[in-house]
Amino acid sequence: MTTPTVMVSHLSKSFGTVRAVEDVSFEVFPGEIFGLLGPNGAGKTTSIRMMLDIFTADHGEISVLGGKMDEAKKNRIGYLPEERGLYKDLKLEPTLIFLARLKGLSEAEAKRRLPDWLKRLDLYDHRYKKVQELSKGMQQKAQLIATLLHEPELIVIDEPFSGLDPVNTRLVEDIIREQQAAGKTIIMSTHQMHQVEALCSRIALIDKGRSVLYGEVEQIKRNFAGNAVTITGQGDFLNVPGVLEARQVNGDWHLSLAQGAGPQDVFKALAARDGIKIERFEIAEPSLDDIFIWTVQGMQEPNHA
Amino acid sequence: MRKFWVVAKHEYWKITRKRSFLLGTLAMPLFFVGIMTLAIVVVMAGEDQRPIGYVDQAGLLTKVRTLPSEYDEGPNPVALVALADEAQARAALERHDIQAYYVLPADYLTSHQVQLIYWDKMPRGPMQSRFDNLVRVNLSTALPATVAQRAQHGIDLTVRSADGRQEVSGDSIINIFVPFFIGLFFSIVVISSGSYLMEAVSDEKENRTIEVMTTSLTPGQLIGGKAIGLMAVALTQIGILAATIAISLIVGAQFIEALRAISIPWSMFFTLALFFFPTYALMSGIMIAVGSMVTETRQGQQIAGAISMLFTLPFFFMIIFFSAPNSPLATILTIFPTTSFLTIALRWGMTTIPLWEMIVGWVLVTVSAVFMVWAAARIFRLGMLQYGQRLDVKSMLRAVRSGGES
Repeated sequence: MTTPTVMVSHLSKSFGTVRAVEDVSFEVFPGEIFGLLGPNGAGKTTSIRMMLDIFTADHGEISVLGGKMDEAKKNRIGYLPEERGLYKDLKLEPTLIFLARLKGLSEAEAKRRLPDWLKRLDLYDHRYKKVQELSKGMQQKAQLIATLLHEPELIVIDEPFSGLDPVNTRLVEDIIREQQAAGKTIIMSTHQMHQVEALCSRIALIDKGRSVLYGEVEQIKRNFAGNAVTITGQGDFLNVPGVLEARQVNGDWHLSLAQGAGPQDVFKALAARDGIKIERFEIAEPSLDDIFIWTVQGMQEPNHA
Repeated sequence: MRKFWVVAKHEYWKITRKRSFLLGTLAMPLFFVGIMTLAIVVVMAGEDQRPIGYVDQAGLLTKVRTLPSEYDEGPNPVALVALADEAQARAALERHDIQAYYVLPADYLTSHQVQLIYWDKMPRGPMQSRFDNLVRVNLSTALPATVAQRAQHGIDLTVRSADGRQEVSGDSIINIFVPFFIGLFFSIVVISSGSYLMEAVSDEKENRTIEVMTTSLTPGQLIGGKAIGLMAVALTQIGILAATIAISLIVGAQFIEALRAISIPWSMFFTLALFFFPTYALMSGIMIAVGSMVTETRQGQQIAGAISMLFTLPFFFMIIFFSAPNSPLATILTIFPTTSFLTIALRWGMTTIPLWEMIVGWVLVTVSAVFMVWAAARIFRLGMLQYGQRLDVKSMLRAVRSGGES
């Protein structure tokens, strides 16, 4: 059996009277992209901070790269924090070299590797500019370079796509896939569910400090099938009893079902309505977006054990 | 350990490449050079280079007519010219060929009286002493060489305290002020570098780099590296200023007699060096804590100004150190951690500071520094992770107790 790169077991942390994380467990295996999801304030960042030894856990066990976190392991980890930070009054190139040196890279090696990254992320011509002169997107890309320049084995990226335009989002996606292909283990925390669907093989969903969903993305989606229906037809599909949310997607109607409501109930309700013409009615495989909303709002999926 | 030096080097270059640092560091030496140049110009301009005449009615100044060069008190010593009689001397004075003339009367050996006649401006000390020296040299030519040497140069007085720790040699009062200036200078450097450190810490918070830092190195490496880097900055400032002062004094002493009497009080220098490191650490600890607590550098600068007052407090009591250097207040300020360094500097030239006061002062400042650095690391850890929030005293105390997490 493969040894996990990261193992978090029954993790808890309180700040004063506030329980930030409670009994969170997950494992991340070598070479996978693992998604850490959850609404704002759910405890994702606190979990990551405990994992990286920024905070000490009150309870629970953490194993990173085969054991407890120590100083030597810091050089093997690349971390893109939620709170982006670069020295604003320093020039880009020396800042990135300094940060790489703090990760154990020699100055010569950092200088050798840096130009390729700067060129790839379209920052080469800006390397002598002060960080504060760069746009938010440029700073975001620069921070990504700082995360990857020392070629870490474990990459922890918190909201890697925030502030990026579609072109740069695609570029960062490609880079993440390349890192995975190179055997790196990646933990990605994000709110952008379509990115999670596109990139992650497994996820953990944390809500109110607790782990509420955990497993392979495909399996989770299969478990949640039946909680939504897709309808092709004409008429008013809004305010249908048993439907939590109705939205149009490419001309079809996508109806998310409320707790306790089944597709049959919805079909009957629609059939009883005047002016409704149904051409197609099928049980939809829910998107991660749907699953996120159902889970966070405390709904129980019908087929989920 | 390597990362510690990477931070120190980074911090050093980050500060020393700033225009404000260059201006701040070079301003004081340039000011000093300017003052010294002005003093030299004033001395040179005010110096009358015309010869001084003398009329030797006693016939005592015949053996040596030109003073040996060892008596020269500057690059352009005024010449002494023998004149035949008072009439000739008077005529030369009226023609402004000479600036003044001495009359050594025939009964000088019994009367010990000498007259100096000048036109409108009396020759100053160094010029008068040239004639004194000429008389001494001539009167002592018949004596054995070693006795003549002593008679010509007079006594070499050293004033020393009973326990041997305080010593003033030479006859210049200027040496009393040397410790004062050294103390003042060290204080400026300690306070300015402390303020740099506060800025360096709050910058880290403002730039939100702390999570990247914490996952790259230990708080000790980060704080220690910054403190060492900034101490190197302070030592650079000290080095530049000390070198400028040394060169200025060497050059200035060629023109200004008072500067020749200056001697470095090495014992005081080493004592202050002993106090410098814990005082610097104490100031650093306080500044790190302040930098960690505030949300903006500007807020920290205001608080830093108030904290600097704690270290410069002895300046406000300077008059007491002059009038009663061993008063109870002086003792209290000597042993109080934030004021001991400067108080010792200010009292040094005035009195012999009791050894127990300095030992107690050093122990207290060292213990305070160790505690403050320890507490600051904990406050730093918490403060850095609470972006945009100002730490209150309660959470600060909680952080100190809990190890940096609230």
